Amino acid sequence: MATDDDDILTGSVPAPDAEATPTERAHAKTFADLVDKTLAGRTPPAMSADDRALLEVATVIRAASGNVELGAAKRRSLVEDALRQAVGGVAATASGAAVPITRARRRWVPWAIAAGSTLVAAAAVLLLWLRGPQRIEIHDGGVAQPTPENQRKRPADPLIGPIAREHAGDAASRIDTIFADRMDGYRERQLAGGRTP
Amino acid sequence: MKYVWTLLIAVIAITGCFSCADKDSGPEQKITTKTPEPADAIDKPLMIALSKAKNFHHKARVLMSDGQNDEAIKTVREILSLKFPAGAPEADDVRNDARAVLAKLLVGKGQLDDAMTVVKEGIAQSQRESFFVANLYTVEGEIHEARAAALDASDPNNKPKIVDEKHAAIEAYDKSNEINTRLQQELMVQPPAGQP
Repeated sequence: MATDDDDILTGSVPAPDAEATPTERAHAKTFADLVDKTLAGRTPPAMSADDRALLEVATVIRAASGNVELGAAKRRSLVEDALRQAVGGVAATASGAAVPITRARRRWVPWAIAAGSTLVAAAAVLLLWLRGPQRIEIHDGGVAQPTPENQRKRPADPLIGPIAREHAGDAASRIDTIFADRMDGYRERQLAGGRTP
Repeated sequence: MKYVWTLLIAVIAITGCFSCADKDSGPEQKITTKTPEPADAIDKPLMIALSKAKNFHHKARVLMSDGQNDEAIKTVREILSLKFPAGAPEADDVRNDARAVLAKLLVGKGQLDDAMTVVKEGIAQSQRESFFVANLYTVEGEIHEARAAALDASDPNNKPKIVDEKHAAIEAYDKSNEINTRLQQELMVQPPAGQP
């Protein structure tokens, strides 16, 4: 038969200074035993929903107060699970048994990736560091092309023509003509990079 | 399998960085091996010599316009001592033209023998016939005329000399015409510059 004392979560709340009833004392002792067993790793397979809720609260309070250490087996299992998940494996707890990571399948892959990347990076640094100046050799075939007429040193006769007697001493204007013509050829050759077009 | 792909992507990325580095950075030393510039091409020494000759001519013209013929003569003589590239045909042409100007300046000063020397040297040193050599013959003819004119025609002793000078002048003019005619005929046969 259920009483208000049995329903500790939904029953009426006693006054703060009220004396604990024998039922409450018995209930508290039972719960204390339950907590002790749970902390000792001997959690009962069945309990009431209220007890389970209280037990979870008690566990949280105890964990929050610190100085809680997991058992060695549990600790190892959690660490290995975390490592396995970090490298893409499946947590061992899912299957219910902790598998030591040293025996995990393809354990060499992350190390291989790390080593490969390091080697490539080192090679890149070395290559950039030791690489000498880039030498680009340009050959133009070595075949001498004939120089175009207007880029060649040549007599000025075709440019000047016969010199009339009245202009015999007008050398200043003739040298202007010669200079301008040769400058055209010289510029054309320079703009062509010294190569025959 | 995804580890393999990760490694593959990493390798591709790094090799891509190498490619970028090759193109965009790093010291680069270009060594260009070119065919040597042909000796007959217009080059800087030729242009320098021509430029100096041009400036000397203009300077001489200014001096002449200012009546400073002695200074003009000195200036034109500078053109004769200009250093042209070996084998440049322009050298002969420019020097012969300078000699023609120099000779006329000397004629103007009455230094007919000096003028004749300048012209004869020019003709003798010329490597080929040219319109400039023909012009020297023209100036030579003028010098002969000047010599004939300088002699006293009233003196019977000078008459043979005057005749000789006039004959020499005619010969010089004929020689000039002969060269001009021959060169013009040659140029009419040759294709214009720049055409094959």
